[in-house]
Amino acid sequence: MIGVAPPAYDPAAPESATTLPVGTPTTVRSYVRSLLRRHRRAFTVLIAVNAVAVVASITGPYLLGGLVEDLSDGVTDLHLERTAAIFAVALVIQVVFTRSMRLRGAMLGEEMLADLREDFLVRSVGLPPGVLERAGTGDLLSRITTDIDRLANAMREAVPQLAIGVVWAGLLLGALTVTAPPLALAVLIALPVLIVGCRWYFRRAPSAYRSEAAGYAAVAAMLAETVDAGRTVEAHRLGGRRVALSDRRIEEWTAWERYTLFLRSVLFPVINATYVTILGAVLLLGGWFVLEGWLTVGQLTTGALLAQMMVDPIGLILRWYDELQVAQVSLARLVGVRDIEPDAGDAEVGPDGRDVRADEVRFGYREGVDVLHQVSLDVAPGTRLALVGPSGAGKSTLGRLLAGIYAPRTGEVTLGGAELSRMTAERVREHVALVNQEHHVFVGSLRDNLRLAREGAEDAELWASLAAVDADGWAKALEKGLDTEVGSGGFALTPAQAQQIALARLVLADPHTLVLDEATSLLDPRAARHLERSLARVLEGRTVVAIAHRLHTAHDADVIAVVEDGRISELGSHDELVAAGGAYASLWRSWHG
Amino acid sequence: MQIRDLPYSDPGDPDVRSGPRFLFWLGRNQLGGQLKSLSWGLLHQLGIAGLPVTVGLAVQAVIDRSGGRLALAGGLIVALGVLIAVGDTMLHRTAVTNWITAAARVQQLLARKTAELGSALTRRVAAGEVVAVSTGDVEKIGWFVEALSRFAAAATALVVISVGLAVYLPSLGLVVALAMPVLALAVLPLLPRATRRADEQREKAGKATELASDTVAGLRVLRGIGGEELFLGRYRRASQEVRRAAVRSARMWALISAVQVLLPGLLLISLVWYGATLARDGRIDVGQLVTVYSAATLMLFPLRHFEEIAMAYSFSRPSAQRAVRVLSLHRSAQEATVEGVTPTGDLYDPATGLMAPRGQFTAVVCGDPDEAGRLADRLGGHAETGDEDDQAAAAAPSVLLGGVALDEIPLDAARAAVLVQDKDPVLLSGTLRELLDVPSSGLVTADAALEAAQCADVLSALAQASADNDGDPMRTRITERGRSLSGGQRQRLALARSLVTDPEALVLDEPTSAVDSHTEARVAAGIAKLRQGRTTVAFASSPLLLDAADRVVLVHEGTVVAVENHRDLLRTEPRYRAVVTRETDDEAAAANAVNGVGDVPAPKSDDVPAMKSIEEIEERA
Repeated sequence: MIGVAPPAYDPAAPESATTLPVGTPTTVRSYVRSLLRRHRRAFTVLIAVNAVAVVASITGPYLLGGLVEDLSDGVTDLHLERTAAIFAVALVIQVVFTRSMRLRGAMLGEEMLADLREDFLVRSVGLPPGVLERAGTGDLLSRITTDIDRLANAMREAVPQLAIGVVWAGLLLGALTVTAPPLALAVLIALPVLIVGCRWYFRRAPSAYRSEAAGYAAVAAMLAETVDAGRTVEAHRLGGRRVALSDRRIEEWTAWERYTLFLRSVLFPVINATYVTILGAVLLLGGWFVLEGWLTVGQLTTGALLAQMMVDPIGLILRWYDELQVAQVSLARLVGVRDIEPDAGDAEVGPDGRDVRADEVRFGYREGVDVLHQVSLDVAPGTRLALVGPSGAGKSTLGRLLAGIYAPRTGEVTLGGAELSRMTAERVREHVALVNQEHHVFVGSLRDNLRLAREGAEDAELWASLAAVDADGWAKALEKGLDTEVGSGGFALTPAQAQQIALARLVLADPHTLVLDEATSLLDPRAARHLERSLARVLEGRTVVAIAHRLHTAHDADVIAVVEDGRISELGSHDELVAAGGAYASLWRSWHG
Repeated sequence: MQIRDLPYSDPGDPDVRSGPRFLFWLGRNQLGGQLKSLSWGLLHQLGIAGLPVTVGLAVQAVIDRSGGRLALAGGLIVALGVLIAVGDTMLHRTAVTNWITAAARVQQLLARKTAELGSALTRRVAAGEVVAVSTGDVEKIGWFVEALSRFAAAATALVVISVGLAVYLPSLGLVVALAMPVLALAVLPLLPRATRRADEQREKAGKATELASDTVAGLRVLRGIGGEELFLGRYRRASQEVRRAAVRSARMWALISAVQVLLPGLLLISLVWYGATLARDGRIDVGQLVTVYSAATLMLFPLRHFEEIAMAYSFSRPSAQRAVRVLSLHRSAQEATVEGVTPTGDLYDPATGLMAPRGQFTAVVCGDPDEAGRLADRLGGHAETGDEDDQAAAAAPSVLLGGVALDEIPLDAARAAVLVQDKDPVLLSGTLRELLDVPSSGLVTADAALEAAQCADVLSALAQASADNDGDPMRTRITERGRSLSGGQRQRLALARSLVTDPEALVLDEPTSAVDSHTEARVAAGIAKLRQGRTTVAFASSPLLLDAADRVVLVHEGTVVAVENHRDLLRTEPRYRAVVTRETDDEAAAANAVNGVGDVPAPKSDDVPAMKSIEEIEERA
């Protein structure tokens, strides 16, 4: 085989632009610096311990070299007991410090890793809600799983091992220089091959490994999707096609495996040649020097054995340098989250009153494409407002603006006279809460799942909130009650129950204004209406903006706004709109028969 | 097998009786690769073993002041260097090839098994378990397969070197030969504990990752309502627990590496002492002493393979066990007894009496949504029940299509005849064109189906998101499970896909539950128009959809109780009215009082209807 070109298809190439930023080299560097600063002491100790272990390990070759010298000079009194005693002491030191070096290396790596992952999560939970809505959580999710995983190896092993390897190689080289300066030159002969070979390799390897890893992940992802979509695959008779797709992913992945194998097929001979060149050069040059009388036999022996020991640190450095290169990309993705502008809110801005107003609001997700056109709306405190209209008309967008998640492009959305977009997320949610179709149940106890809305809430309050959303029945039936573990891997709640949990949180958080975006769409329709009525009793006097699929929600509201094409086309109570005979009226008639 | 020839055209029929048997089956299938790897490994190890000889030769040559022998030693080093480089590279190539071919084979087996099991899979094992085999276990199985030949080569080389040393220099060689087994086996007793701790660490790390991803997945909820500190604190605790477990695990590995320094060190001290005495007495050459010392240090590398293979096996055996658990699953559905039939005609379920006449649009209303799901499943035939409680359901007579029992024809033929779209259909990733490219009659175009399902807004959303910016929605990728689309949009795309298929009979379970009322009326009309003259069954409770059907069937507690059109049923059947118009209790009570119908539907086990009747009583009082 002469060479393998990198495969044309690169599974690591982003399918669509990543939604969140990736760290620039400058941010990554400054982060790494701060990480190293935080662990400066541990690093220093690790290197010191390492140095002691290496120096102790050099004792053997020295002693043997001395013996060889004496033997070849025909000395009969070798002081063997003394030599053995020194060797034994050195061995004990080496054993103790090797153990300590491994342990400290691991501890340091683990601490840095823990710092890194905790830092990342702290940053993530501080992201502005608007960024999350826009970017979705998928990208963030892949960063916290895949990238942290990849970094784990690097932090746990690569960083400490590389530090060890570099110190080790340096000390050996130093020892060689001290023993016999000319022999150090012999080592340098091997350097050009190593440098050229490694440059070639490391220029190609990191991206190739990234692609290989992405290719392998794609194989697993394909399988995961087939498993997840089992019913759909069977119903549409897609089994054969899924198998063919899986085979294609395997082909793509193995093509990259083949390429990286080729890269290593170049690197391995280079490394082997380096070892052998070092050893050969030390022996031949050294032998010649001895014959010329510039060196002693003992120096030669020690030098040859030290050269032989170089195998270890060089292997270590090459082995982990690879890993570090791959990890760099993951690190950039994690650190990238730091580049996102934090919440721009002003802690001083707060509402005065409960009036919700939208004034001549225009808004769009993309430049030049507005979803809402000059929408004005005034919601008096305590009003129950229903937004109805066809999909894509902008109901949910309007809801998010009213909940302060997005800022309008022009015009303003105010609560109690203060602009929502100028308040911090923490301030906004004291007053306004948004519940949408996304009903996440967290891994943990039912109690934790509720308490997040009001930390330190008593059990009685939690039960009351469950009762308010008709959920106390099934919750009481749970064997462990509030201690029941729910969420992924725990007790599986139905989507309807999850939605009730989301609403119970709302009851606990008790904001005076609520935006419900199809908050009951997953419940059985009759249960949904029942729940809405129970909820209405609890929320008496609160302002509620409900985005409704179902007309009964609208029917129960004080005011209905029909949203069409980003504008409010009809506004009034149920009876008024039915009497007016517009779009709402005709819909109601076909609905109610 | 070369990597470039992957994937296998047929990954074979694995031995799934047990984990070790599966590993053995994998090994047997790549015997050639294992032997190749073993040979190259042997060459590599022996090449390295030759180096000490040259070192000794060179030192002795210098002592004897012989330039010629020094040059000979140099020539030998070059030759050995070539041998080592070729051996090492080829060993790596063949061993990695073994790994990859084994991993690819297992992945292919998994893909075939999951495709075969379809809907039955997740009823037997958790989805996560299957995926974990693919993401984690395959790698461990591959590791063992790869390590096996390297270990065999190292072990063989060690024996050869020990024997060689014993012959070359019996006095010192015997010392080394005797010490080798001790060095090889010394750390093995420590390994079980070390791997157990490593497992604990991995498990904790897995939990922490789960917590983190769970927190991120629910981040919008957290940011919207609070509780970030609660979850951060929880994650910090988990993260610190991982750190502690990792350090605990590292303690064992540090101990192991200390032992690996100590024992060879003791051997080297003995060699130096004993060897120097021998050399002083002139019984061996100084060069020979250096050779043995150097050989002893180099033998540490093949020794590491004992540790590696023990670990690889302890990790891969449970992995193989898990893989076998998935690969040994089978569908429980009965074997086909009737072949080569393409049934057509009325769709009839003898168990409930549900009849969907050929060519008509039948809507079915069930009081209990779960019952609707089960009934929809039944209508497709070959329903997977999975758990024993459903024995009764499994024993129920098969649904008939045109008089042919669907359970008795092959699964694929049954699925081709009747397409059941469940409540939560999955949008497979790919472009819109790929999504709609499903086995079909070819009579319904993608455009027609998209139009009938009212997907115009989906198309414009996709066109906007189009990465290439040519604005072609058909070429836009739909993100995983369609997450970038709203619930209603996803539902309409799934409906369009089912309409494209154009099966003899189409069964839809709540196809518009997430669609807003405005659009729903249009979707219902679209279905009715597109499926004109084809058999369609829709389970629904929305009047907008029911109104579009030719006939509506009311199923109550497992039996058909009324068949009529929507408007008539609404007038005459209070149970129907109760389900469909979502009247609340007071309204129902009022209606009942007016119509003089005494009973609301008998309360079922859920709480909601039970509470209804209580409230109703209060209301009346």
